[in-house]
Amino acid sequence: MIGVLKSLGVTMGTFFRKPVTIQYPTEHKKVPERDRAFPILLWDFEHDESFCTGCHACERACPVECMTVTMMDNPKHAEGTSKRRKILDEFFIDYGRCMRCNICVEVCNFDAIAMNNTWTGHELSTVDRQDLVMDRDQLLGLSKNMQIRPWTPE
Amino acid sequence: MGLLLWGIFGIEMNVWLDAILRLQIIVIIMTVTVMGLIYLERKFVGRIQMRLGPMRTGPYGTLQSIADAIKLLTKEDLRPSTADFWLFELAPYVTFVPVFMTLMALPFMEGWFVRDLQLGVFYIVAISGVTVIGYLMAGWASDNKYALLGAVRSAAQLISYELPLILSVLAVSMVAGSLNLNEITLQQDTVPNIVMQPLPFVILLTAVLAELSRRPFDIPIGESELVGGPWVEYSGIRWSIIFALTEYAGLWGFSILGALVFLGGWQWPFGTSSFWGDFDFVYQLFLVGTKSFLIILMVMWISATFPRLRIDQLMAFCWKILLPFGFIQVLINGIVLTYEPPEVLRDVLLFGTSSALLVAMGYVIYMATKQPPREERISPGLAARSVQ
Repeated sequence: MIGVLKSLGVTMGTFFRKPVTIQYPTEHKKVPERDRAFPILLWDFEHDESFCTGCHACERACPVECMTVTMMDNPKHAEGTSKRRKILDEFFIDYGRCMRCNICVEVCNFDAIAMNNTWTGHELSTVDRQDLVMDRDQLLGLSKNMQIRPWTPE
Repeated sequence: MGLLLWGIFGIEMNVWLDAILRLQIIVIIMTVTVMGLIYLERKFVGRIQMRLGPMRTGPYGTLQSIADAIKLLTKEDLRPSTADFWLFELAPYVTFVPVFMTLMALPFMEGWFVRDLQLGVFYIVAISGVTVIGYLMAGWASDNKYALLGAVRSAAQLISYELPLILSVLAVSMVAGSLNLNEITLQQDTVPNIVMQPLPFVILLTAVLAELSRRPFDIPIGESELVGGPWVEYSGIRWSIIFALTEYAGLWGFSILGALVFLGGWQWPFGTSSFWGDFDFVYQLFLVGTKSFLIILMVMWISATFPRLRIDQLMAFCWKILLPFGFIQVLINGIVLTYEPPEVLRDVLLFGTSSALLVAMGYVIYMATKQPPREERISPGLAARSVQ
């Protein structure tokens, strides 16, 4: 009987509490720093080129074979502005196939690939599967435009 | 009667035309109120569960009920191939019509009804009991075991809880000396009946919850065990008639009944006064609306709080607690009123006995919850076996 009255008090208490709902499409919950969305490539601002040299390490390690990498001679190395002899020519990642296992990030020798930790890595629905195959410019875009968050806590 | 609406319909008019026009007004108000109540309940329960409730359709989700109504009306009206055609098709109307008929005897403001019945209270409690037949029809005709179980449960529950409802209203009409709702309300010009008769108000609130199959008493509907009770097989417009209209129009009707009988209807809490002469009906409508709104919120609050009772707890609560205390209240009222004490003494006596009974009822419920489980009381050996 007393518990009955108490429970009424509890529900009235929660009525005046702030709702915890986040209205998703217009409002986003903050994703954690170590959030693993899809892999993206990083941009080396010092030499104005990608960190990736197209060494195929990630491609070979990828368990679902979602990556395609090609390598070329670095024109900037010939000019002498860069230490990298080779640079990536083309880089495709099929996001429809990627299973976000983080192995490519683990095996990369140059820290050139990282997991996207922003909402752009989650809201990727398309009407065509072909649109999920990302090319080099799309993969480098986020890093190039400074739209990524730092992976280490501030 | 200088009321504006009375003036419109009080002029020399055919009785039938007059009644039809009044019914039309009630139909329109009822539909709008039902949609508002569905929105209100979703918002209120949402806030209690620390959610927002509907937010997408229109500003703050205000158009949600309209969207739901359009969806339900355009949905396919399914009927199982093994269903009993006539019973299945007619059951929603048999459920809904009694609820609608209760609205005819309710005065929404002073002297404004469809029909001014001398036996208004009696009519309302009698006619609202017919709803059971609709539930039974729906459950039987659906040819579904869950529907049938729900129908039988709702029959048991609704018939049981009819009695405390009648007794609580009867106790009040004894004090008022009338069964006419208009007179009962007019008689509460200084003190509303809830002060003199708190116990019947509590009984009425409980019985209304059970009559409407709302949450602590939603055994007939029981989503988690009976998947929806008598109306498992219904969809589209028939489902919306049963669920939305019957349930929420019933809630609205009973809350207005409670507001009129217990909270003083269109009277101000301390003494009535006529402020605006012909335009009194504005504040009368406002007062009736506010008081019934308070009861509706109370009902929603209770149903958002408590978990579902077991069927034996439900029956025991009705037959062992509500009904005896209702009878004792009626008896005491009869004794007090027979000796015709002076008015102040009478009010004090009624207030004292009813409050004492309310406390006693609380104590009985408290003791009942303290009891060990039935198995232990009846046979300790049985309990020990069931533990293993």
